[in-house]
Amino acid sequence: MAVNHEVAASVKLTRTDRLAARIWKSRLDYAFLIPGLLVFGAFIFWPMIASFYYSALNWTGFGENAEFVGLANYRELLQDEFFYAAFRRSFAFMLATVPLQMILGLILAIVLNNKLLRLSTLFRAMIFLPVVSPVAVIAIVMVLMLSPFNGPINGFLLDAHLVDRAVDFLGSPQIALWTLAGIFVWKWTGITLIYWLAALQTVPAELYEAAKLDDVKTRQVIWHIVLPMIAPFAVVIGLISAIAALNVFPLIQATTQGGPFFSTEVMEVYIFRTAFAPASGQFPRLGYASAAGVLFGLSIMVLTIFQAIAVRRTRRKEAEDV
Amino acid sequence: MSNRIYAGLSRRTLLGSAAYLGLAMAAGRAFSQAFGDGGGLPPADGSLRWLDSGGQKGVFIKEYLTKYGEARGIEVVYDGLPWKEIASVLPLGIRNGSAPDTFNLPIGMEPSVAISEGWLQPIDDLIPDFDNWKKAYPNGSFVEGINVFGGKTYGFPFSTERRFNNALLFNQDMMNEAGYDHINADRALTFDEMREAARKITENSGGRSFGFIIGGAQEPRWGNTATMLAQRGGATVGSSGLLEGMDLKTGEFAFDHDAYVAGVELLLAMNSDRSVFPGSLTIIAPQAREFITQGAAGMIIQGPWNIPIWEEKTPNFNFGVSPGPAPDEASLDNPVWVMQLPNSTNMMWLNAKANNAQYAGDFFHWLGSLEGQLAYANVASCADPAIFPETIKLAQLSERAVTMLQMAEKRVRIAPNPFVRNPELSKVAAAYVDPTPNLAQAVQGLFAGQLTDVKATLKKASDARNKALDEAIAKAKSDGANVSRDDFAFAAWEETRDFGPEDYAKQ
Repeated sequence: MAVNHEVAASVKLTRTDRLAARIWKSRLDYAFLIPGLLVFGAFIFWPMIASFYYSALNWTGFGENAEFVGLANYRELLQDEFFYAAFRRSFAFMLATVPLQMILGLILAIVLNNKLLRLSTLFRAMIFLPVVSPVAVIAIVMVLMLSPFNGPINGFLLDAHLVDRAVDFLGSPQIALWTLAGIFVWKWTGITLIYWLAALQTVPAELYEAAKLDDVKTRQVIWHIVLPMIAPFAVVIGLISAIAALNVFPLIQATTQGGPFFSTEVMEVYIFRTAFAPASGQFPRLGYASAAGVLFGLSIMVLTIFQAIAVRRTRRKEAEDV
Repeated sequence: MSNRIYAGLSRRTLLGSAAYLGLAMAAGRAFSQAFGDGGGLPPADGSLRWLDSGGQKGVFIKEYLTKYGEARGIEVVYDGLPWKEIASVLPLGIRNGSAPDTFNLPIGMEPSVAISEGWLQPIDDLIPDFDNWKKAYPNGSFVEGINVFGGKTYGFPFSTERRFNNALLFNQDMMNEAGYDHINADRALTFDEMREAARKITENSGGRSFGFIIGGAQEPRWGNTATMLAQRGGATVGSSGLLEGMDLKTGEFAFDHDAYVAGVELLLAMNSDRSVFPGSLTIIAPQAREFITQGAAGMIIQGPWNIPIWEEKTPNFNFGVSPGPAPDEASLDNPVWVMQLPNSTNMMWLNAKANNAQYAGDFFHWLGSLEGQLAYANVASCADPAIFPETIKLAQLSERAVTMLQMAEKRVRIAPNPFVRNPELSKVAAAYVDPTPNLAQAVQGLFAGQLTDVKATLKKASDARNKALDEAIAKAKSDGANVSRDDFAFAAWEETRDFGPEDYAKQ
């Protein structure tokens, strides 16, 4: 037994030595990682940990009079109808925008992937233009375009007798969120288009040529060749788009600030309002907002885990098919 | 636009006026002399930064702060932001250490809370010859619980609260065409008349204009408007901050008072008539102000600060002013109430971590002198009237500005203020967590159609606020404060006259 222990210790020591030796050997590579790790730690990891800590405090975010309240903020949140409403809106926004963005992006990608289409590069650039435009600029332009008083969109609708009264796109609680969803899709479809174009490059050219020789119709090529081959990418593109749709704070803050009467208040706006910009007569509640942020972050994490599982299964299925 | 000297000058006043005007002219010619030599000021630490809500007072501050900077050799930075932005920018600035040296507090934030949170520092030791400087102010300018806390002065007052913060301003041509040319400072609209006027203005324009507009994205506008309408209907309620909507005779919030309900129903009725500017829910007050001059709407409930802005920027715009509407003819003479003499929203507070606190104090010293006040009154006009009454009498004001000031003298009264009666109530304010939706949000929700049943919605908001106040009182008590709900009730208040310092002793 004593011999075995010695051997085990020796093996462990040898492994440790090897690891240390390997690290030392690659010390320059690790040194290059340090700045990135520091930035990650300061701006990603620390805020996450700090949010958990702050969520246990009754704290305005100012001064040093923070009071430890344990899970009280979470208990209060779970009874807050505005929290649930904001939560629902965030996911409704995501469910409305992601499929639309993906389908629209895919259609455009398939059309623009056709090398015979003239000016496809120009069209790609035009569709991508909103992606690189600042959200604040787009928000201001959209507020003017959609104005029910003198906005050109309402001008057109009225002139064409499509409506008998100007539509208050951003001021009507019934349609404001969906108007924002439309703006969001318009702004970000360009990036989805790029993802899909990259995915389409993975379809071998020989398959198109073979289909052409067999006189297969374009519709059948898309349905039976292209879509099955790019399907695995859909999971990744869907995940990226979903996370983007849940991070919609700049657009909403620059247009409606969550109003009117909370009708466009998604979770990020809710968190911002409670943390930094409460209504008149109210006081910032950083601890409470942190608790909301933690719950929202966890829900996104669950979504990410589901999607990761989906990616893994798709890959496994692909491997089996091969 | 016609300019004239404020009415009623006697020979003695005229001679006095000449002297004061001479002072002001001297101040204008040799501004650095007006400030004195500034001896004893430390070297500047970066810029002197000032943040307020802009408007006409902002025009003055920007101009004179720049002159001050030139005289003192310090760079100055002035920012005038809408209240909604102050509410988000300032707390963030305080938090990350980038807040200006001196600022307006966000609307609704009790100064006592800001002090307890460590935002502010007293100005007593920063203003030269402080005691004499303070004595020159009109009585009631420095009040424990308003701008004095624990015997230390925190808030610098330079304008008076006695103004008609929610008057009716209207396009005179549109009103005339609608058949309401008799509406003026002496004759307000009744609720029915306002609804009808709004409908007719919309109708007469053929859809190009609307009867009424409100900067409805700015939530407090809804609360302010509803509260003014309620006061005009006879509800003896407080007008701002924690006291907004509180019946000061009973100490209970009364959002569901019949006068509140009637006021909110007026707004809803105009909306259902399609007489309200579409998009009112997505514009802020300054935008609404601009739309009025463009002819997009006929009436707006807003403050006197619109008058100098419109007269300067759109001198050809023909508009009139009147008190806010009242439910019926019998209530046309009802007053509205403000909570104290010094204007608390305009009041400047000094950042506890100000880089140039002494320069801010030095500028306060000048602005709180007769020269400073006169210079201020000439620019600020009726928007934010100077707190020294003699300067208002001497200032050159437009006819409309004079009308607005006279209207305030006639109809705006000082209400009892529980924070003056018991300064320990600041601990209640610090512990108070306002429920959501509050009054402003509830009215906005009703207007947007998200909420229904005016009476029930307002009662729910009122009950929630009463409960929140009870909880805050209980917490303050448990922390050792000597407070009770009775501190908020002034049963013997005679609401038709000012509630002065002597009245607190009687209650």
